[in-house]
Amino acid sequence: MSVLSDKNLRGYPMKPYDMVREGLIVFGVMLTIILVLAAVWGFPGKNYGPLTIKEVATKAPVAFLKRTVSYFSGTSRLQTYGPPYTHNDNHAQHIGPFCPNCWVGVIYPLNAKVDFVMQPLQQIAALDPNVATALNTYQNASAKQQTEWNNAYTSALNKAQVTHGRVVLPAGDYGPVPVLMNGMLTFARTGLLEAALTFNTNPNMAPYETNYTRPLLYLGGPIMNTVAGHFDEKGGEWGMSHIAGPYPGAWWLWPYTFLYQIPAIGNSPNGDLIAFLIFLVMLLIAVLAPMIPGLNRIPYVIPVYKIIWRDWYAKYPSGIPSNASRKRV
Amino acid sequence: MNIDKVLQKGLKSFLPLKDDLPTEMPAYVNSFGYFFGTMTLASLAVVFMSGTVLAFFGPDWWHFSSVGQFFNAMHFWSVEVFYLAVIMHLTFKFFKAAWRGNRFRTWVNGWIIFIITIFSGISGTLLQANWDAQWNSQQGKAAFNALGLSWMNWMNYTTVLTLHVVFFAGLILFFVVTHLAFVRSESPVHPIVNGGKGEIDDGNARALGEGDEK
Ligand code: HEM
Repeated sequence: MSVLSDKNLRGYPMKPYDMVREGLIVFGVMLTIILVLAAVWGFPGKNYGPLTIKEVATKAPVAFLKRTVSYFSGTSRLQTYGPPYTHNDNHAQHIGPFCPNCWVGVIYPLNAKVDFVMQPLQQIAALDPNVATALNTYQNASAKQQTEWNNAYTSALNKAQVTHGRVVLPAGDYGPVPVLMNGMLTFARTGLLEAALTFNTNPNMAPYETNYTRPLLYLGGPIMNTVAGHFDEKGGEWGMSHIAGPYPGAWWLWPYTFLYQIPAIGNSPNGDLIAFLIFLVMLLIAVLAPMIPGLNRIPYVIPVYKIIWRDWYAKYPSGIPSNASRKRV
Repeated sequence: MNIDKVLQKGLKSFLPLKDDLPTEMPAYVNSFGYFFGTMTLASLAVVFMSGTVLAFFGPDWWHFSSVGQFFNAMHFWSVEVFYLAVIMHLTFKFFKAAWRGNRFRTWVNGWIIFIITIFSGISGTLLQANWDAQWNSQQGKAAFNALGLSWMNWMNYTTVLTLHVVFFAGLILFFVVTHLAFVRSESPVHPIVNGGKGEIDDGNARALGEGDEK
């Protein structure tokens, strides 16, 4: 035996054993249990497919247009998100000067107006002369005029009516903005917007591009929050540890997601950072428990060990085989 | 110095074949308290095997073919069983005070595995290519960014796939091997002596009358 086990096991009675056999038996049992679980329940929860832009543009065109025009006019929250996308360090989570996100900085610069709207619009303009003209008109207008059109259009969306899939606005001066936004809507409804967003990320990489930051972020904010609300998956509802539907998925994250249920953390703009630091302390306590006075006595105070080794203690009440008092080693 | 010789010597002293493939165990290893480590290992094996199949055929397959859906479900359920097992395992190791006798490194090694599996689980969630993955990448980004982990690009499918099936899986494998090597080299921790009272119970109590106490 190894020098360690040789030293540790001297004088201890041994019994015959076959480790590989035991391992194979346990493996067989586990495999069977898992096969049964998978066969009976399949993938639990709803396993909804991803939310596509096409679906949103078709079923909730006004929500789609609101989000799109917010990127277009530069008013979305994403455009002042902070690192890693924009330079608004004041929006990065921090505790005093402790701001890991600021230290990493803007490594994936994102200009939502250009990347999400202007680039696809230019591509749409190549296919649709109306959009080309509108784009031209818009770009030649003064900044003040652009802002007025954007604002008028944005507030008109609140009174928009949808008839047969068409979005009808109350009369008003929106300049070329409705043509542009309808161009985006039509394009989105073809199901091509994700592809455009993905491949525009780096056109030189087109056939290999797998960076889905843009299409994943596009529907972020109000749209995805609404959908998540339908599935009880908001952070305040145990967030990540949930899967769609009533089932807990990653229940082992509960000690972490639990922290978000504390209003002071869940509602704080720095909640993630605070929750994580608390979790880190919890984890450290668990890892170092054997060295923490008090905690390392719990196994003696709650003597589960007496049950675990009950056969052994029945034979050797003190715990050592010779039954004699032991010396220090 | 002959490196092979040194390694031979190290293996002979710390992991001889007799410990790698033991044919006997101390008599006190006779309890459900030892079952969960094996259960963890067994379920982990199913995680790796089902995951390998998923890796071969890809997301369209595991979402849209019935065999694929079955393997997807198997991967999911093996992870659930794994966590049940590992949490029982560490609970029982805690109640056995199994860190005694220099086994603290085994204990810490165990926690390292546990922490890596959490990251592995998150990367797996993001790989699902379904609504949950999409939503978690939205929600998770706030946390990852806040923690200064944005340099790992969690929205690049290739990055996440590689992290999940190569990097985290490899780390888990590595630390499981060291865990088992520690466990086998040290022999199972002794039952607690005299309720842990009196002398310091270092978990390596030695039977008397066997000669060599110093
Ligand atoms: C993938 C995860 C893990 C696997 C596959 C694993 C596997 C095992 C196995 C097979 C054993 C020997 C059998 C037994 O005593 O149950 C063992 C022992 C041990 N494990 Fe783990 N383990 C894992 C995680 C952990 C964790 C998270 C901890 C604690 C935080 C831990 C702490 C220990 C300790 C202290 C021992 C030595 C027990 C003794 O000497 O009696 N392990 N592990």
